[in-house]
Amino acid sequence: MSSSNPLNAPTAPHADMALAERCRSGAPGAFEELYRLHSPRLFGLACRMVGRTDAEDLLQEIFLTAHRKLGLYKGDSSLGTWLFRLGTNLCLDFLRSRANRSAQVTDSYDAEGSTMPVGGRGPILGVVDRLDLERAVAELPDGCREVFVLYDVEGFEHREVGAMLGISDGTSKSQLHKARLRLRDYLSASQGGSR
Amino acid sequence: MTCHDALAHLSDYLDRTLDAGTRAAVDIHLQSCDSCKALATDLDRIRTTAHTLGPITPPAHVWHNINSQLRREHRRADMWQWMGLAAALLLVTAGVYMVAQPDPASPLVTADSNASAPPTVETVEDTLRRAEAEYERAIAMLEKVVQDGNQDVSPETLATLQRNVTTIDSAIAESRAALTDNPASQPARTSLFDALRNKVNLLQSTVVLMNEMRQGDAGGAAEAAAGLGNKTS
Repeated sequence: MSSSNPLNAPTAPHADMALAERCRSGAPGAFEELYRLHSPRLFGLACRMVGRTDAEDLLQEIFLTAHRKLGLYKGDSSLGTWLFRLGTNLCLDFLRSRANRSAQVTDSYDAEGSTMPVGGRGPILGVVDRLDLERAVAELPDGCREVFVLYDVEGFEHREVGAMLGISDGTSKSQLHKARLRLRDYLSASQGGSR
Repeated sequence: MTCHDALAHLSDYLDRTLDAGTRAAVDIHLQSCDSCKALATDLDRIRTTAHTLGPITPPAHVWHNINSQLRREHRRADMWQWMGLAAALLLVTAGVYMVAQPDPASPLVTADSNASAPPTVETVEDTLRRAEAEYERAIAMLEKVVQDGNQDVSPETLATLQRNVTTIDSAIAESRAALTDNPASQPARTSLFDALRNKVNLLQSTVVLMNEMRQGDAGGAAEAAAGLGNKTS
């Protein structure tokens, strides 16, 4: 797919460096401006990765961490890209920590065999409602959900997803495929298996 | 190509990441298999809808929590800075009072008068020099803080600050001139240290004002600004 992810955004324009500098020097309103610009995208990411309940705390942690680390921002990428990397890493740390807390013994990556298509001559899904899809994404196992959100929602390439998650491109592809198949099952159930 | 093979390639097919040969083979299979074609249609609907899932505006209280936490961290950092400065000035001031104003009636001096020799002229001069240097260091540091943040202060307040600094600097210069003429003059020493202390107080109040303005505390800023007018006496 053509990449629309923030890692491929152009390098930092002058405005990004200027805003970062104003934040670093504690200029009034500068950090709030940064928050207003970038929090919706990061909150969307956090909601989908860790769930709405924990997303608010995580968004808070992302921006407090950003405030402490802004001195490390050198303008090699756009400020949005820098923040998105930071946010993604914190989301993944959170998921690992949550998995450890719940003493999860199975690998979060879905190891089930491929699901064969449900019999039938036509599509079983009608128009996919965005809210239904959001709910279905929340039902996915962590590994499938991470790949689906990063690839299908955020637009990263498999090699980028693999690098972020510490998995191979092939694993990223197979997790994506399993995620889509599972979502089809969830959505068809929520649509009453009609059509 | 079998249904099993087609299924294995279906996501790559939808993402257009298959080589031309495999893509053509999947195409042919989908034309002849309604079940796989239906699956492909469903998965494509899912991925197309996923692309439209956009940003979500967080609730307002998240920013308030972040802002409160940043203020707390800022205050903590300021507090450590001021505690260090205040401790240094306290030691200096205590030293100055001990050696520069030896009051024979003072219990401190009386208690020690039999136990140790009175400070020599050299000790007194040395302590005063160190005390003055300490004040100068504190003033230089505060001036830098004020200079770095003076864009946060209104032009009227800045003018008041400048006027007060000029008055205090004149008092410092007069005291120094008097000490040059008469190095042993107790009133000139007292006057010099009073003026230095006033300047530290004035600059400290200015820094407090700047912090209040940064944090949007209008009440605190107004109180600190009013205080700036009373720092020269």
